Amino acid sequence: MATLAQILDRITLPRSADRVAQEYEREDHEMFRLRMFPNEHVYFYVKKIDNSKVVRESDPKTRRLCWRVFGASCATAIFVSGLFVPAVYSLLAGYKVEALRQQKQVLERERATLDLEETKMLSPARLEELARMQQFVDPTPQRVIYLDGKPEGTFAKR
Amino acid sequence: MDEQATKRVRYLARFILLWAAAVVFRLVQLQIVRHEDFREQAVQQQEKVVEIRAPRGEILDRLGQRLAMSVPVDSVCVNPLQISDAAVASDILANILHLDASELRDRILMAAADHRGFMWVKRKISPEESESLRSLNLDWVEFRTESKRFYPNKSLAAHVIGGVDSEENGNAGIEQSLNDTLEGHAGELRVETDVKQRGYDSAIENAAQPGQNVKLTIDSRIQYIAEIELEKAVKEHHCHTGSLVAMNPKTGEILAMANYPTFDPNEPVDTGADLSPRTNLAVSTPFEPGSCFKVITLTAALETTRLRPETIIPCGNGSITIFGRTIHDHGRYPALPMEDVLARSSNIGAINVGMKVGNSNMYEYIRRFGFGKSTGVMLPGESAGVLHKLKNWQPGSIGSIAMGHEIMVTSIQLAQACSIVANGGFYVKPRIVADSQQPAPVRVLKPETAITMRQMMEGVVIKPWGTGKRARIPGYTSGGKTGTAQIVDLKTHTYTHFYNASFMGFAPVNNPAIVVVTTVHGATGEAGYGGTASAPVFREVAAAALRMMDVPKDRLDDGPPVDDRTVDANDLAIAGLTAPPTIDVPDEQAPAPAAAAEGQSLAPELPNEVVGPTVPNFRGMTMRAVVEQSAALGIPVEFKGKGLARAQRPAPGGILPPGERVRVQFAR
Repeated sequence: MATLAQILDRITLPRSADRVAQEYEREDHEMFRLRMFPNEHVYFYVKKIDNSKVVRESDPKTRRLCWRVFGASCATAIFVSGLFVPAVYSLLAGYKVEALRQQKQVLERERATLDLEETKMLSPARLEELARMQQFVDPTPQRVIYLDGKPEGTFAKR
Repeated sequence: MDEQATKRVRYLARFILLWAAAVVFRLVQLQIVRHEDFREQAVQQQEKVVEIRAPRGEILDRLGQRLAMSVPVDSVCVNPLQISDAAVASDILANILHLDASELRDRILMAAADHRGFMWVKRKISPEESESLRSLNLDWVEFRTESKRFYPNKSLAAHVIGGVDSEENGNAGIEQSLNDTLEGHAGELRVETDVKQRGYDSAIENAAQPGQNVKLTIDSRIQYIAEIELEKAVKEHHCHTGSLVAMNPKTGEILAMANYPTFDPNEPVDTGADLSPRTNLAVSTPFEPGSCFKVITLTAALETTRLRPETIIPCGNGSITIFGRTIHDHGRYPALPMEDVLARSSNIGAINVGMKVGNSNMYEYIRRFGFGKSTGVMLPGESAGVLHKLKNWQPGSIGSIAMGHEIMVTSIQLAQACSIVANGGFYVKPRIVADSQQPAPVRVLKPETAITMRQMMEGVVIKPWGTGKRARIPGYTSGGKTGTAQIVDLKTHTYTHFYNASFMGFAPVNNPAIVVVTTVHGATGEAGYGGTASAPVFREVAAAALRMMDVPKDRLDDGPPVDDRTVDANDLAIAGLTAPPTIDVPDEQAPAPAAAAEGQSLAPELPNEVVGPTVPNFRGMTMRAVVEQSAALGIPVEFKGKGLARAQRPAPGGILPPGERVRVQFAR
C-alpha cells in the first residue's frame, strides 16, 4: 500500500534516466510484484506460468523400460502364482480322492452284502426246493450239453 | 542439527530396535524352540489314522461256490460320560437292537461311574438294526466297522468248514487248520483333514494284507445229498450218530464229508452247551470196522498166499472155537470159495484166511492200507485210530483183526483203504484242500490183486446171497463190503447191543470214479446192520455223484433197487451172543462160481441182439437243432467242434446200442 514516504519520494526526487530505466524495469516487474509491506523494502514477486501448452518430449527409451518393468512384474506374478497352482489342484484332487475312497468303502460293503445274498440264493437246499416246486428232473449223465464248451475242471450241472 | 532433536531420534531408534529384537525372539521361540510341540499338536488336530480293512479269506467249494465269507458290519458303542439320561438312552437302544433295556441301563450307569469314556452296546449288528439306528442320527451313538463271518449255506459241510470266535480266529475245521492263510492283517492309512474333518490327503502307513481264499475239494451238491441221506438213515434206524466220506479214488479228493448230528456255524456257541454235534466223527472218532475189514484180510491173502477167489475155505459148519473163544457164522457153511467168504461175510472163513496170512503179513498189509496212522488231511483233531503193535498181539488177535475187531479205524481211513482197491493198488493220500501239494501215489498192491478184489467186492453187491444187495446203483456197476460191529462199553468192557453199521464201496467197477464210506453208530436190531442201514445211503449218494460227475452208465437199468428185508446177519462178528436164527442156504453144495477173467465184470451179460433207437441223420444241422431233435428222440449225443454237423457215428439209419451215444463232429 502506498505510504507517505513513497508519495514524498515520488514528488521530491528528480526523475533521472537511470530512474526512468529503473522505473521502466520496475514497470515490467510491476506485473508480478505483490503489494509491498509498509515500511519494508522487501518485495515479493509472483509470476504465473501457463504450462498448458507445454508438451512432454517423447522418450522411447524410458517407455521401453517402463513396459519392460511392467512385463517383468506380470511374468513374475504369473510365475509365482503358477508355483501355487499344482498345490491348489492337489488339494482339490485330494478332497476328491478321499471322498472317492470313502465311497469305495461303502460300495465294497454293499458288494459284500450282495455277494452274501447271492450265495444264499444259490445254496443247494434252495435250488433243490425250487427244482421240486417246478417239477424238474435230474438229467441223465452226458445229457447236459455246454454250447460254449465245458469249463475246465467243472462237473456237469444238475 | 538440534541436539535435542538428535537425542529424540536416538531414543526412537533404540525403542524400535528393542521392539524388533522382541519380535525376533518370539519368532525363534515359536518356530525353533517349540517347533516339535506345535508340530505334534498340528498332527493331532489334522491327521487321523484310519484302519484299512483286510477281510478274512473266503472258503470255496471245488466249483467256486462260497461256503464261508466275511462281511463288514456295524458295531455300536457309546460314551457313557456323554449320556445325560441313561434310562432314555437304554430304552432307545434296546428297542432297536433287541436288548434288555434295564440291563443296558445298568451297564451305562456302571461305566459312567467308573469314568469310562467307551462302552460297547452291541457288536456286529444286522444291516436292518444298523439302518434303523443310523436313521435316528443320534450324536452320542458311534458306529465302528467290524468284520463278521457268515456261512451262507448254514449247516452244509459245517464239520469241514468249522467256525470262528468273536475275533474271527478259527476254532474248528478248516477255519482253524488254515487260520494263518485265511487271516487278514489290517493296514493303516494316515489321512490329513481340514478344519471340518474332511480328508484331503492320505498315505498308507502299513499296507493291508487280505486273507487268501481257500478252495476245497468238496462238491457242495454231493455234500448236500450226502447230508440229507445220512440224516434220513440215522433217523430211520434210530441211531445216535452217522458219518460219511465220499472220495475220488484216483486223486484222493474228498468230494463230501458229512456227519450227523450237525450244527449251524452261524449260531454262536452258548456257554455250557453240548459240543458233541460239532465233532467231526469222520476223522476224529475211530470205531471197530467189523466185516468191512475182511477186504484187507482177503487182499493180504491174495498178495501173500496162494489163495485165490475160487479157493475153498473151511467154514466149520457155522461155528469154530479158537484160542478159547467160540465164533459163529449165521449160516452153517462147511466151506466156501474165498469170494463167497466175502460175499456172505463169513467170520470163520475170514479167520481161517487170516491165519493163513499170518501175523506179520497181516500187520504189514494193515499198515500198507494206511491204518494205524493219520491220513494227514488238513482237518484238526484227526485220530490215527488204534492198531496194536505187532509185538503186543495176543494169540487170538489175528482172528479178531481178520474180522475187523481189536482194531479201530476212522471213516476217512476206510475210504483211503477202499480207494487203494478201487484205483488199482495205489496209496493216494486223501486231501480236502484243492491245489495242495500232494505226494506222488505209491503202489502198495499189485494191479491184478486190486482188480481181483474189485470183482470180489462186486460180488457182495450183485450176488443173490451178497450182503450188499441194497448198494446196487441203477445203471452202474458197483462193489463194496458191509460191516456190522458191536459197540464196546468201555466201562464194563463188554459188547453192547448197539452196532456200528458200515458200508464201504465204489462205483463203477471197471473204472471207479467214486468211493463212499458210510457208517451209522448206535443202530439196533436186525434193521441196524450195515447192508440195511448204510448200503442204501451209499447207493443214493454214489448215484447222485456219478450223475453229477457225468460218468456214463455201464449197466442196463434193472428196475428199482432191491428192497430185500432179509436179515444181513452175516455181518455180525461177535461171539457170545445168542445165536441168531439159522437161515437155509440152498446153494450150500453148489459149486463155486467160475473165476472171472481179469478185468471182466460179473454183471449179467447183455443179450446178443442189439436193440435200440434208430440213429437219425444230423448232417448239416446246427448244434441247437441237433440238441432239440436228440432230446425229442431221447438219444444221447456227444458233441465235438463248432458250426454245422459234418459227420456222425453211428451212421444215420443204424441202431444205437444201449449205453452208447451218437458222436457228432461239427465244423464251420
